[in-house]
Amino acid sequence: MTFTSWQFGLFAATVFVAYYLPPLRAFQVQLLVFASLFFYGYGQPELLALLAVAVFGTYLFLVLALRNRKGWLPVGIAFNLALLAFFKYKLLFIDPASPSLVGFAPLDFLLKLPLPIGISFFVFHNISLLVDLTRQKASPPTLTDVFLYIIFFPQLVSGPITRAEMFMPQIKPKYFADIPLVEAAKWILVGFFFKLYVANNLNEMTSYMSFPLYETLQTQDRWLLVFLYSYQIYADFFGYSGIAIGLGLLFGYRLPINFNLPYISASFSEFWTRWHISLSTWLRTYLYIPLGGNRHGIWRTYLNLMIVMGLGGLWHGAGFGYLMWGLLHGLLLVLERPLLARLAAIDFAVFRAARMTVVFVCVTMLWIFFKLPNFEHAAGYLAGMFTPSTNPNPTKLFYSLALLYSLPVIIQHFAPSSLFEGRLRYVEPYLYGFMAALMYLEAGPETSFIYFQF
Amino acid sequence: MSAVRWLVKCGAGALILLIACGFATARFGSGLQMPATTTRDGTLITLSRYLREPVPDIVLAGSSLTFRLKEEYFATPKLRNLALAGGSPITGLEIVANQPNLPRLILVEANVLNRPTDTALVERYSRGDTEPLFFRPVRAAVAAYEQRLHAPLTREQVALDLRRLIEQPPSDFDSRIYADRALEQFNAEDPADATRINMMRIEELIRRLEQRGARVLLFELPYSEPIEGSRFATTTRDVVHSAFPDPRRWLRMDTNRSELRWADGVHLDERSAVIVTQAMERALASVHATK
Repeated sequence: MTFTSWQFGLFAATVFVAYYLPPLRAFQVQLLVFASLFFYGYGQPELLALLAVAVFGTYLFLVLALRNRKGWLPVGIAFNLALLAFFKYKLLFIDPASPSLVGFAPLDFLLKLPLPIGISFFVFHNISLLVDLTRQKASPPTLTDVFLYIIFFPQLVSGPITRAEMFMPQIKPKYFADIPLVEAAKWILVGFFFKLYVANNLNEMTSYMSFPLYETLQTQDRWLLVFLYSYQIYADFFGYSGIAIGLGLLFGYRLPINFNLPYISASFSEFWTRWHISLSTWLRTYLYIPLGGNRHGIWRTYLNLMIVMGLGGLWHGAGFGYLMWGLLHGLLLVLERPLLARLAAIDFAVFRAARMTVVFVCVTMLWIFFKLPNFEHAAGYLAGMFTPSTNPNPTKLFYSLALLYSLPVIIQHFAPSSLFEGRLRYVEPYLYGFMAALMYLEAGPETSFIYFQF
Repeated sequence: MSAVRWLVKCGAGALILLIACGFATARFGSGLQMPATTTRDGTLITLSRYLREPVPDIVLAGSSLTFRLKEEYFATPKLRNLALAGGSPITGLEIVANQPNLPRLILVEANVLNRPTDTALVERYSRGDTEPLFFRPVRAAVAAYEQRLHAPLTREQVALDLRRLIEQPPSDFDSRIYADRALEQFNAEDPADATRINMMRIEELIRRLEQRGARVLLFELPYSEPIEGSRFATTTRDVVHSAFPDPRRWLRMDTNRSELRWADGVHLDERSAVIVTQAMERALASVHATK
């Protein structure tokens, strides 16, 4: 069940109504857990068992680690990482189409299970739960609360990755009067608008980036499509996160902001404080800092950056392309690090614009490894960007359409944030209404969220 | 501003735009040729146009191979090409068969017949609900802009352009890498079972269509030499010709193969598509003459 389906609309509305009924107030957490299980099992009921194993296992290790952190915390983390590794990276070693894999039926069954949607996200939730609660030496939460934190349906599939210490204190009775309705409506509307109007329409064009279709493109169109994909992936994931945050607010939970205008970043380190913030925060808190962060000298810092970004790349998928993407981001962070202080000292608008352009172009080029996880295809696409096209019948792209579908991302990044704080405040609700109508009228063909695959 | 007032204003904003687009759709209809960002988009536009406009004399149903034979390449004015890039010729044939009025002649491509019918598309275009309640404002604006920039060519201008294209020598575009890849795919795939099942459906559709007065002919588009000998091409040819052995069921096109070039060994390039189109028109003329 995806956020953009009518089934989801019906599901969310039903749960919302039931959630605030006074007789059910005492069971709000249980209701959300049940609804989240229904949401997760709707398309893949066979994977509910896996989710149960992940949650029950994590809960068990949490209880044990609260008694003996040193002994059980590493085991709990290893248990979760093993789950992730098994499901995400097994395809590196096996061919699921083969009739018998290891000759042992139960293991064959497990090996043939599809990648559980959202596993990368809920495994990170589990680790956060284990680390945060054992660090606080808190008393063990109830199993239902743990279930809710891990499988809360707005964030279950693609985040934002919420830290336990931020979510768990929010679990308490909720009242309809406390809902920030306008804020929730804004997040949900803008989220759907970015997904349906921007991302889905741009997806039609960027489908030509796939192998072997990209071979029909003219050289300048290959460049154009890379930038369109950059807008698309942002609109897609920002859209998902916006809907998740809005839904969270409707149920009384404030999820972390995941994006903060990433394409105006003037450095790569700034980019990672603005893009997929919940992931970069998670990686910093649970990986970079435990590795030593920047506390052990410059070379160790560089090594830590490369390790974190490489693993961050692999977290997205089991492929050399994802690893390359992560490592290249790591390399950019390493290269800019000695220069950052000097660059920041130059306070000049044109210079900052130039820095923003360099960062945007580099980040955009690296998205090719996301769009084409097969490294050979990505390399072929990149090579084609620098060689003249000889195809006598190239694909025709409508540049005007590309601009109009990208415009919301551009406006969002470059319109002054004070625009709606002055006199334009009064037209704001009408503009959100226009967006709602436009996403209905001009929605692109249905496609799943890009981050669902991770 | 209270939440309710905000939400009411938001709803009003949405309603204003919806009403404006509803009026515009009622006033202008969907006469504008919307820009197609994908080949499937282009196909849907063609299918919508087929249902909206008077029934043509000739219809082509095919796959991406026939998709390359653009309608403007044909001198015959009342001809529609319902070929689906990436789709099956049977999808187009089903849609035509489900309409109340039929064209005089239906030409069915017999090169790629192993693909399943797109039942969603058949249902949608058989119900006839192809006209949206609201048009897409952004696409409509771009369509108007494109029409302003590129006014449609007259038949004479098109004919002149095509003549110039034919007078040029065949393309020297090196497509070996793509042709080799296509050959590998064409040798890997065995289309026999799927094609046999689809042939039964085609036979049934032909019987229904001919009972209602239309005539149905099959045709084959040329592949490059290596692809002609591939497992996919030879198997398909065997299955189709054993199902339809009567030569009168076939539209025989006579082309000079040395003039033809393929973008990837399978799909004709633009000049070759024009040459094949002209051969098809000559064959059609002889069909009319012998009738």
